[in-house]
Amino acid sequence: MNYDVLVVGSGIGGMESALKLGDMGYKVLVVEKEPSVGGKMILLSKVFPTLDCASCISTPKMAATTHHPNIDVLVYSEVEQIKRGQDGQFIVKVRKKPTFINQTLCTGCRQCEMTCNVAVPDQYNSDMVARRAAFIAFPQAVPKKAVIERAGTSPCSFTCPAGIKAHGYVALVRSGKYKEAFDLILETTPVIGSLGRACYAPCEGECTRGDLEGSLPIRKLKRFVADTRYRENAGPDGKPVAAPSGKKVAVVGSGPAGLTAAMHLARKGHRVKIFEAAARPGGMLRLAIPSYRLPKDVVDRDIRNVTDLGVEIQTGVRVENPAALKDKGFDAVFLATGTAGTRRLRVAGEDLAGVVSALDFLRDVNLDKEISFKDKTVVVIGGGNVAIDSARVAVRLGAQKVIVQYRRSRDEMPAHDWEIAGAEQEGVEFRYLSAPQKFIGKNGKLTEIECVKMELGKPDSSGRRKPVPVKGSAYRMPADVVITAVGLTPDTGCLAGTLELNQNGTIAANPETMQTSVPYIFAGGDVVSGPSMIVNAVGQGKRAAFFIDRYLNGEDLAGVAFEEKLPVVDKQTVINRQQSYRNLAPVPGREILKPGVSDFTEVEPPLTEEEARYSAGRCLDCGVCSECHQCIAACPADAIDMSMREETREVEVSSVIVSTGFKLFDAHLKPRYGYGKFKNVITGMEMDRLLAPTRPYNTVLRPYDGKVPDNIAFVLCTGSRDCTVDNPLCSRVCCMYSVKHNQLIMGALPLADVTVYYIDIRAFSKGYEEFYRQAGAMGANFVKGRVAKIDEKADGNLILHYEDIDNGGQLQKAEHDLVVLATGLLPNTEVFKLFSGEKLAADDFSYVKEVDEDINPGQTSIDGVFVAGTASGAKDIPDSILHAGSAAAQAAAYVERIRMSK
Amino acid sequence: MSDRRIGVYICHCGGNISDYVDVEAVRQAVEVEPGVVVAKTAMFTCSDATQQEMIEDIREQNLDGLVVASCSPKLHLFTFREVAKRAGLNPYRYTQVNVREQCSWTHTDDRAGATEKAVRLVRAGVARTALTEPLEPIVIDTVPKVLVVGAGIAGLRAAIGLADLGISVLLAEKSAAPGGWVAGFNKMYPHDRTGRLLIKQLVDKVKRRENITLFTDAELVAKSGSIGNFQVKIRVNGQKTEEISTNVGSIIVATGFDGYHPRDGEYGYGIDGVVTLPEYKEILDNAGDKMLFNGKEIKNVVYIYCVGSRQQTGENPHRYCSRYCCNAGVHAAVESAEKDPQVNQYHLFRDMRTYGKFELLYGRAREKGSVFLKFDDNEPPVVEKGPDGRLKVTVKDLLTYGEQVEIPADVVVLVTGMMPRENSALVDILKLPVGRDGFFNEIHPKLRPVETVVDGVFICGACQGPKNSAESVASALAAVTQSASILKKGFVELEPLIAVIDPKKCKLCDVCSKSCPYSAIEQEHYQGKTVARVNEAVCKGCGGCAPLCPDNAIDLKGYTDAQMESMIDAMLKEIG
Repeated sequence: MNYDVLVVGSGIGGMESALKLGDMGYKVLVVEKEPSVGGKMILLSKVFPTLDCASCISTPKMAATTHHPNIDVLVYSEVEQIKRGQDGQFIVKVRKKPTFINQTLCTGCRQCEMTCNVAVPDQYNSDMVARRAAFIAFPQAVPKKAVIERAGTSPCSFTCPAGIKAHGYVALVRSGKYKEAFDLILETTPVIGSLGRACYAPCEGECTRGDLEGSLPIRKLKRFVADTRYRENAGPDGKPVAAPSGKKVAVVGSGPAGLTAAMHLARKGHRVKIFEAAARPGGMLRLAIPSYRLPKDVVDRDIRNVTDLGVEIQTGVRVENPAALKDKGFDAVFLATGTAGTRRLRVAGEDLAGVVSALDFLRDVNLDKEISFKDKTVVVIGGGNVAIDSARVAVRLGAQKVIVQYRRSRDEMPAHDWEIAGAEQEGVEFRYLSAPQKFIGKNGKLTEIECVKMELGKPDSSGRRKPVPVKGSAYRMPADVVITAVGLTPDTGCLAGTLELNQNGTIAANPETMQTSVPYIFAGGDVVSGPSMIVNAVGQGKRAAFFIDRYLNGEDLAGVAFEEKLPVVDKQTVINRQQSYRNLAPVPGREILKPGVSDFTEVEPPLTEEEARYSAGRCLDCGVCSECHQCIAACPADAIDMSMREETREVEVSSVIVSTGFKLFDAHLKPRYGYGKFKNVITGMEMDRLLAPTRPYNTVLRPYDGKVPDNIAFVLCTGSRDCTVDNPLCSRVCCMYSVKHNQLIMGALPLADVTVYYIDIRAFSKGYEEFYRQAGAMGANFVKGRVAKIDEKADGNLILHYEDIDNGGQLQKAEHDLVVLATGLLPNTEVFKLFSGEKLAADDFSYVKEVDEDINPGQTSIDGVFVAGTASGAKDIPDSILHAGSAAAQAAAYVERIRMSK
Repeated sequence: MSDRRIGVYICHCGGNISDYVDVEAVRQAVEVEPGVVVAKTAMFTCSDATQQEMIEDIREQNLDGLVVASCSPKLHLFTFREVAKRAGLNPYRYTQVNVREQCSWTHTDDRAGATEKAVRLVRAGVARTALTEPLEPIVIDTVPKVLVVGAGIAGLRAAIGLADLGISVLLAEKSAAPGGWVAGFNKMYPHDRTGRLLIKQLVDKVKRRENITLFTDAELVAKSGSIGNFQVKIRVNGQKTEEISTNVGSIIVATGFDGYHPRDGEYGYGIDGVVTLPEYKEILDNAGDKMLFNGKEIKNVVYIYCVGSRQQTGENPHRYCSRYCCNAGVHAAVESAEKDPQVNQYHLFRDMRTYGKFELLYGRAREKGSVFLKFDDNEPPVVEKGPDGRLKVTVKDLLTYGEQVEIPADVVVLVTGMMPRENSALVDILKLPVGRDGFFNEIHPKLRPVETVVDGVFICGACQGPKNSAESVASALAAVTQSASILKKGFVELEPLIAVIDPKKCKLCDVCSKSCPYSAIEQEHYQGKTVARVNEAVCKGCGGCAPLCPDNAIDLKGYTDAQMESMIDAMLKEIG
């Protein structure tokens, strides 16, 4: 697409230039980075000296700009680069930021905004109040369309191997929407209660709060969500499933991978049957994890999330030949048989009675087999979670003594720290740097272990230091029971003829699609990855289901993106968003641990609702949008599209007008005025917001305590005419906007006193002197004297120290209950980065330089590029408008010249 | 009962209206008015979303009339007419009811009363709308030519700007040479470029352009017609006076300002050595290596600011600030110090208004030794000739805590401001609106900054208010775009809300034509008699003639007698 003129920025200057050019018949493209046109002017209350509503002046221009037949407007877009092409035209790259809401479908009804669970500071209200992550910029926005702010994927959600929207359910818990939180997790996996108890929670390790007072208890919040839902609702919970597809899928194994895959496939309308070798379903959730960690009724309830969808589970069936399932009418097979085998120690005496593998032991206990260790000494060999679980179960079975023997030291132990600590507190003893050499028995029954001491040698292939036996250190240790927990292996021997296997016995599957060497057989979970975590298995189950569904639909598997996430948000960026954060200490974890515990009661107490809400409230909303998906359900126009990504387009233009406006001086840079420290010190822009028709509090309140102020001071030249902040320039507008504030305040708060501390009142333009006089006549008190510093009193009032020039120049103090710093204007230097090839010249103060201001105001150093409004220096609105007209006239003349030359 | 289908929208205007008027009560009251089929309220009726909603309503509900009760039609009449047009409704079936300026803002102390008044106003709007007829704008082909009055820097630049866009220009300058004030300036702030050279550059360009005709010694003496096609008459005085008549599509007025001339005795004006800033600048321009006054070297200069500006007392005081003078004053001081670094310069000011980047000039003046003393508005400095024959300025300096300071001076420079130029003949011819400060008035400083209430007549430069040279040029170019946007389209659409005379009733008593301020009433033959007829292009629809017609032959389209009567009835109707 080609245009005559590109206008960068749609503030009052940009709109005026565009409108004038459009009216003259030129084709104009306006690019605006915000979601609405209007710039800063639309955010003002009223404008001097006519006291018109800024909205009333801006909105007609905003509407006219967007509806003009000769003007195209790209909002929420940024010019990336402007470069002159071969033929003298400018080639412009424009990046259209994703709004995540289809702008054609959006009706501006604000349903998404109302349902959004994330609140962030509202930049259109000077951060004084909050807005939502899904939002319409302001009530008069043009176009009035919502956008969703997504800074990226929150670290918690990004890191979750299952792709659970951790931030999303945390945000929902914060809002008290527990069912919605449950449903959000259920979008990923049915095993919510299980994960809430037994997940290793990598999300918590990434939590940005972790860099402050401590991570959010994201896992426990999931448990809270599941418990609440399960308590309140007996089920069914399944999402409505799609119409039957007529396809059948067999899932082999009912662990987390199998259950997750089954749920997703069933939702797609496929008929799913799970085959489980054990007597009861749940895989490792049921068989391996002890019930003091994960009660089995929770597993049952999790499984119902799958069976409620019509998925059938057949237990006690061992599928030896998955290929045969094809003949039984299954169109696809998903193998998720886990790691049901146990690695042997390869130590003499391993077959003695009393030596058991951990997995067999835990399975027996979990399937309610009566076992008693009363008066027995139990030695658990291994350092992983299974070893610790076994030890802690042994304690509960009444063992006199439980010893965990591990050949490395505690530092190398792969088990979770908290599990080891729990075991210690329950009375488990640890023998580090020790390994069994031989099991010794009497009458075929174990009595002793011959052990050897170890020391750590050079690191091995795993990076851990390799334990080496210490010569001559052998010793014996009496033992009644030995539980070996030195590793799990997949039990895939029977598949060797059918499927390609890896050397370690795992199934070889495409890591993207989970497809095996047999196209209709997919595999996932530990049987593919080797022993791993529940949440990883869930992730693979979900991934496999996605590709199985595609396979069943005859769609391509290769090159298809599964769950494309936005890049992760940088944690430091998140922390830098705010000057400071309220200290919100984590809820202390307090497992109920007692030595010699003899029952299987859950050790971890649940979060109370209060704790859950408090904990969720600590979330920093790293990604801004939490991906809670509530807006998707709420949008009546079905306009939400989370898969939207930025687009870059290229246009060709003959001429460019930069109207990129100004930046406001950051009042923090004037620490003696206490902005940011004293709550009742605000900026001029904040006062404008307080007075605007769309004002945040509907009246003028001071921020400290919400009191209606009655003695307001204005400190002029904050950040202007001030070499200490490196800005010797006058900002041209602050005197007058303060005088405007004076008049509006005297209207809004007739009893309030208003004092203006000034150096010179610069009421220089048409009608301004009269306007200034009028404020004086209304009662504003003008005090000549610069304010040296401001102190805060205990009640939030402020003491201003100033030189009273009118009355003998004494140093004076005055008390006010609200101070407005009339902050000035600074250049927006981003404009200089837009140009490539040719350099847009800046003046000494980094405004766009006007090279021939006397005759050609608005002409820049680049032929064909013009500047309109405050981008070339501080200006008030009328001057910006005239300046924009000037830029438009010259851009038009330039376009004519180009046309003539062709 | 009415068979009309009217939509009524009542605006909160943020809180501008709804803080003082119960908007919902108004809605309920008018919802039941005859002909009303849609009655809604909105936070901002002017917002894009509400505009879209109106368009949908008009289309879906088949509305044939639209009423918006919001602000003054000055702001949004065209906005909502445009809405009607986009929805396919004749825009003249739209009525704007002003419940803000004329209701909520004026009755902030009486919510009940304001609400009642709003109900009555909206009812009247509905009644008017019910009797509207579809009207079509009067289309006039435009002449692609502009008359620029005044060839100062603004006029010259405007002429070139128009010519650049392919529009012909007639540039009329009253004096013998183009260039205005700037042609007389040497170095100008802030870029130290010479005014004379700038003007030479522009005049050379003007001369090279075939589509610019420059007349000097020329004055606009008559104008008729309307936007898009004015007939203008220019008298050119020379060796022999000739009058040129031509047609132009628009007129840009760039007649500049007069310098303030101090009264005798004002700050010692009249005493030898007391000069105005332009007079001092001349001294500087003519100075060789030394600055001399009356042959004597100038060693001490005192500047007194705000002479002829920001005056609150006296007869016809100039209350306004002249904007350029502080900058010009410090610039003169910098120039003086560059000529003679030893010169002592004292500036007696009220507020230094070296706005924006001009602050740097102020800083430079101080660096070069200028001393600034602030005097109280009520205690202006006194300039006298001392017994030694030297000038002496006495002032109470607020910056040194009210110390009385006596400054001997070789020259006292009165930093004089700008005055509106005496131009009553032109004002009469163009019907130019003059503001309280005596400068020409734009319609709205932000919405329509170079337009006047006379369609097609634009203003720019210092005739609109004090401006420096570069600012005048910027406004001149803004006027160029405004002119070009009309002329490049090739036609203009004029309001059809004008008077119409029923020839059957007219008895040609001539009362109407005498009352018409625009000379819009002509005569024509109708069925064997001569009757009055309204020239559509000239009539402004002021309605002045309609009530005067003894035979009731004149009606004003859009505001017919029937409409006015029905509005009055609606307003007086009992409030339920």
